[in-house]
Amino acid sequence: MLLPKFDYHEPLSVDEACQIMSDLGEKAKPLAGGTDLIVNMKKKILSPEHLVALSRIEDLRKIELLNGSVRIGACVTAAELAESQEIKRGLGALGQGAGILGSPLIRNLATVAGNLVSARPAADLPPPLMAYGAEVVLKSRRGERTLPLETFFQGPGQTLLEIDEILTEIIIQRPPESAGAGYIKLGTRKALEISLVNVAAYVALDSSGTTIEAARVVLGAVAPTPLRSPSAEKLLIGEKVDPSLFEKAGQAAAKDSRPIDDFRGSAQYRRDMVAVLTRRALNMALEQARRA
Amino acid sequence: MKRLITLTINGKEYEVAVPPNLTLLDLLRYELGLTGTKKGCDVGDCGACTVIMDGKPVNSCLVLAVQADGRDILTIEGVETEEGLHPIQQAFVEKGAVQCGFCTPGMILSAKSLLERNPRPTEEEIRTALSGNLCRCTGYQKIVEAVKDASEKLS
Repeated sequence: MLLPKFDYHEPLSVDEACQIMSDLGEKAKPLAGGTDLIVNMKKKILSPEHLVALSRIEDLRKIELLNGSVRIGACVTAAELAESQEIKRGLGALGQGAGILGSPLIRNLATVAGNLVSARPAADLPPPLMAYGAEVVLKSRRGERTLPLETFFQGPGQTLLEIDEILTEIIIQRPPESAGAGYIKLGTRKALEISLVNVAAYVALDSSGTTIEAARVVLGAVAPTPLRSPSAEKLLIGEKVDPSLFEKAGQAAAKDSRPIDDFRGSAQYRRDMVAVLTRRALNMALEQARRA
Repeated sequence: MKRLITLTINGKEYEVAVPPNLTLLDLLRYELGLTGTKKGCDVGDCGACTVIMDGKPVNSCLVLAVQADGRDILTIEGVETEEGLHPIQQAFVEKGAVQCGFCTPGMILSAKSLLERNPRPTEEEIRTALSGNLCRCTGYQKIVEAVKDASEKLS
């Protein structure tokens, strides 16, 4: 398959990249890992006149710890996330999602920002990032804005990113010691799989270690965008931990999900699996919270 | 407009003028004649086009040639030495891990990258490391055995 023709730009700083995006407007697309964009261009789904490669901008390749927050540069790859000690310590569910995305070859190219901007409903990084309450930083010549990731997604392939903006950074407040999170992906094979359902869960315990102080449950592949489950969260917060509670939270999450029937699975099956995976992800989160 | 890029392939420096819409895979195969890197699906699913770029195995069908400017590339042609086949290649031959051979270059490069990071991998780790490389002939068993065999000979 031949790629459509385009002009190639390789800025060395975020400012330079923003200037190019501002000058070219909708004719240009930022290129990060290319694992979605290059494929879509080969299939002629997209044919931008200009590509603005972000891979040479060193500032976008770092994972930094700053005043209790973790800042992940846009071009950090899935493999780098999965192997990072900073991520393993305290943000394990994100490492789990990154470690199961695509294949080892894809993980060496695919970037964290690409996985968000592509906005596929079954993507592996949005659920764990939303479970940790991540925010995204969008930059353009007009300025900079920071949004909660959960408001960023608008539909399949659609986000709040404006045509001249670049997603430069993901910010996560480091969770307290008494918190934990888990991510589970259900598919029919172990690699190169698009999730049938995926679930990320986060819980924080109070000082006694018995009551749930905060909880987030995020469901993937069961709605046009990754979805928080308000009913499950409401059911969990303020309650004492016991096995039947997670069972009920799973049922509540299933009710909040809005899956469709397609060739990969029926809506009913997906809804049932939301209940199972939510319970399991909550157990993973609890186990991690208690280990602290 | 073509761009002049410089890259190292199998230890040799190349300076080539490439159009932006040329992939690294097509540069290797059609401009430089390095046809050991195979073109299978061309969309990052099959792994036949695997090369090692700056120490990491990647799908060369998803990398633009211009993005490989300044990088160090290893293809299957760079794995054999004057002493003969690399121990991983030898193990593939001995264990019957090569049937039609189309996936073999990618398999060997993914395996090489694994054994450099993890000289004594478990079977599970081998299967995970090769999970981006599809084989339609062997059922994978002989490939996994070959990598295990090579890991024992190398360490």
